Amino acid sequence: MPEWISIIIRSIILITVLFFFVKWLGAKQLSQLNIFETISGIVLGGIAAFHTVDPYNSFYYALLAMFVWFIAAFTIEKLSLKSKRIRDFTDGKSTVFIQNGKVMEENLKKEGYSTDDLLEKLRNNDQFLVSDVEFAVLEPTGELNVLPKRENRPITLKDLNIAPAPDKEPQTVIADGNILLEPLANASLNPTWLEAELEKQNVTIDNVFLGQVDHQGQLFLDLYDDHIAVPEPAQSALLLASMKKCQADLELFALATDNPQAKELYDRNQKRLQEAIRRIEPYLK
Amino acid sequence: MTVGSQVKTCYATLKSIEAGLDLLHASTTEQDLKTTIDETSQLIKIARQDIHQQIIHIDKQEPQYKS
Repeated sequence: MPEWISIIIRSIILITVLFFFVKWLGAKQLSQLNIFETISGIVLGGIAAFHTVDPYNSFYYALLAMFVWFIAAFTIEKLSLKSKRIRDFTDGKSTVFIQNGKVMEENLKKEGYSTDDLLEKLRNNDQFLVSDVEFAVLEPTGELNVLPKRENRPITLKDLNIAPAPDKEPQTVIADGNILLEPLANASLNPTWLEAELEKQNVTIDNVFLGQVDHQGQLFLDLYDDHIAVPEPAQSALLLASMKKCQADLELFALATDNPQAKELYDRNQKRLQEAIRRIEPYLK
Repeated sequence: MTVGSQVKTCYATLKSIEAGLDLLHASTTEQDLKTTIDETSQLIKIARQDIHQQIIHIDKQEPQYKS
């Protein structure tokens, strides 16, 4: 067998083997690998590369060596999933750099971090003042995670005491003019509904490039033909607007009338509407 | 527009709001939203009935404007 044919065959086999080994070792990103996983990855690649271009080496040795390295990496990975102690050993532990707003100097020294390194890492996290930081921890991957002090954290709806309406993920129900049945079922809708909605907006399914359903079950469409104007979903906005209008009308009637009885009636119902708006508003936005 | 017809417009809007809420109630599967709609449409219903009484009252007062 000429050497070049042997190289081709070896390459193909080794590529296949390597592919499956890497697959079985799990899909982690390079930066998430611990030291052992990185090394075994490099060695596996090295063995494959070395035996591909050297036709005088026994091919079975290559497979054997790769298999051993694979088994070793695989066992350690599985064991470290089971036991915390092995995990601490292979993955390393995280180190606390700042606790209760105070820098832990010994931990810095242990990890070989100077003050400048720490400040740089903090700046990476948008913290320019150490006094703004409540807690900072160095992960085994070398990343610093920072918890700012309570007053420096971004404001949330919880802080503002606003109760948001529950939100569901939007579903893409039409792509390239085809109805996608699974997302449609996820949104608990059916093709009949979709056809009715399309008819309402006066478009054919072939003309739809993308169709999405939001959490309120409203359909948004993007058409191939951009000259056709599609109304944006506004059912719920319309409902809210008419509620507000009605409330304002009643308020106006209450102000305009001189009859105290009628005034009282308008005012009472105006308040009812106000209460109704307050309750439903978060859902209609 | 007389006051009577203004109030009647408002009454019609209330009816349409009630129907809109019913539509939303039927089209959603979220339990949270369903309960909120139930509460809201109850409020709207009471207001609508109240305004209806007022319309009858206004019509009686000035029958020449009755539509």
